[in-house]
Amino acid sequence: MRDRSTGYPRNAWYALAASAEIGATPFGTRALDTPAVLFRTRDGAVAALGDRDAHRPFPLSLGHVDGDTIVSGYSGFAYDRTGACVRVPSQQHVPYGAGVPAYPVREDGGLVWVWLGEPSLAARRPPVPVPWLTDPAWETFGGQWETAAGVGLLHDNFADITHVAVVDPVISPPVLAGVAPALEVELTETTVHFQREWPAAPMPEWQAKISGASPTAAYPQREEGAFLAPGLWADRWDVLVPAEDGGPQTFRFTHAVTPVDERRTRHLWRVSRNFAPGQSVSDVLRPIFESYYLKVREILETMQQVIDRDGYGEDVNVAADLAALQVRKILRRLVADEG
Amino acid sequence: MTTQPIVREFEADLTVVSAVEAASDVVTLTLAAEDGSALPPWTPGAHIDLVLGEDLVRQYSLCGSPADSGQWRIGVLRTPDSRGGSKAVHAELVEGARVRVRGPRNHFPLVASPRYLFLAGGIGITPMLPMIAEAEASGADWRLVYGGRSRSSMAFLDELAAYGDRVTLLPQDEAGMPDLDALLGAAAPDTLVYACGPTGLLDAVEQRCSASWPAGSLHLERFAARPADPSAEADTGFELVLQRSGLTLSVPPDQSVFEVCRAAGVSVVGSCLEGVCGTCETEVIDGEVDHRDSILNDEEKESNEFMMICVSRCRGDRLTLDL
Repeated sequence: MRDRSTGYPRNAWYALAASAEIGATPFGTRALDTPAVLFRTRDGAVAALGDRDAHRPFPLSLGHVDGDTIVSGYSGFAYDRTGACVRVPSQQHVPYGAGVPAYPVREDGGLVWVWLGEPSLAARRPPVPVPWLTDPAWETFGGQWETAAGVGLLHDNFADITHVAVVDPVISPPVLAGVAPALEVELTETTVHFQREWPAAPMPEWQAKISGASPTAAYPQREEGAFLAPGLWADRWDVLVPAEDGGPQTFRFTHAVTPVDERRTRHLWRVSRNFAPGQSVSDVLRPIFESYYLKVREILETMQQVIDRDGYGEDVNVAADLAALQVRKILRRLVADEG
Repeated sequence: MTTQPIVREFEADLTVVSAVEAASDVVTLTLAAEDGSALPPWTPGAHIDLVLGEDLVRQYSLCGSPADSGQWRIGVLRTPDSRGGSKAVHAELVEGARVRVRGPRNHFPLVASPRYLFLAGGIGITPMLPMIAEAEASGADWRLVYGGRSRSSMAFLDELAAYGDRVTLLPQDEAGMPDLDALLGAAAPDTLVYACGPTGLLDAVEQRCSASWPAGSLHLERFAARPADPSAEADTGFELVLQRSGLTLSVPPDQSVFEVCRAAGVSVVGSCLEGVCGTCETEVIDGEVDHRDSILNDEEKESNEFMMICVSRCRGDRLTLDL
């Protein structure tokens, strides 16, 4: 049987944390089966280092930050943002060449993106900008957690939203329960965009409530999804409300997916909207989206358990899977390029 | 209501920001979106289509920096091309002109390796430029052998000068033809060979690599279809099962899988339709493929996992595809 797992490329920007999580306290995490520690230096920049003291197998994240260095809680070895060991307590000079790996970091959209692959490629593959996450025209909330499923299962999930009506009829726009209109897929070498023009239908009740629009009027709706990089999906849903009824309402859904290892994935999700501003509305929306994404997590974890137990099967694909298959194709190639 | 998906590649009308004579008969074009918006990302070895007119589509390798999302650079050789593709580029694509592009796509990706041997003939240098920049940055041990008719016909010599003696220039009128036996006679350890250039050069490189190099060492890109095998038997018809679409179709001897899919209303992507660009690559579920393309290497053909449906066919009576 063909191995249906695509694995994941290392040469990509992955979100390891939200910016707000990183300060002068070491933040230990794991991505691509690699231990990493993040901390902020005095100039406000985030440093990302291998989370293992060069002296003994002890995580640096269990130590402390001292100025622009991180100090091991066991050996007392101090490392600067380049990973070089700059101080050891027991002797005058630093052991020649002692250090830990340092990884390129970019902060964008309130997320900390780290490049754990071939270091020379980081500057040659700029991260995809996510300006809407910090644009005041968009109100954003979100959450994050680890899903006990391989990243490939998350990609498959984001590549097709026709399951939403089955998984969560409350959150789902009612139109999703019908037969899906033709999916339009646009490819580039490393990205997949897809969209569907849905027929006019009412918006979900909760959306009518927060936006003050009519819960019964039918508005045309538009779905868009985009696999922009191995660690980033940016999707959107437009309800084309005419100007006299308040104008179009758009949600953007941003999913940063970071493989922890073959079977676990960090999922940082953000929901942005350009209508019904205000914290109180976000407080209404958050539990609705959180409960949906938690259901998805549970389902994907179950799928991973089935695969672990019974292996990959010859899944039957349907027309709606076209985008998912193109994403897999790109990922397979990117993994193969790494030799 | 139709639920049949439509798939296509990114397409846009770009502006020629600059058109510079890079060597005799070679022009370098820099393309950008009129509003300055970002172009899709790409990796070394990628190419785009220039859509020059109805039925006049040509492929050109991207030869700028993948880090520059604001513009694309290509190099175009004026060839005595019967269909006039490159002539149209030279004559019409002057600064400020608009051109329709499609892609990018990549069937010549740079696979990570500690050592590389890059072989370029003439305009085949274009995909090598971003490749060697990346190989150099990664600290790989690499060598480029670049041949051309004469020094004045060889583009990008100024950019290559920065790499010193990693680059060997072989203008034919001064140095003769590259000695492929010396270069490829024995396999070098942990080395990948990348070749792009005229068909004669690629055939010669392929022959030597298949004789003495480990499978998978050679990566090459052809922009002209390999000539049909004269010993091949006449094409036969076969049954075509499209699993995802739930269709069973019949492919007659005089039609391609691609044509039959299109005629049945199944959305498939294709560009060159002669087995060189790789756009129509499709996953094979069952059936033995008769590969006719110029992209897949022997190992990939052997695996029977993918096929180019514009030219490749089926050896048996029935072919099942993931479409």
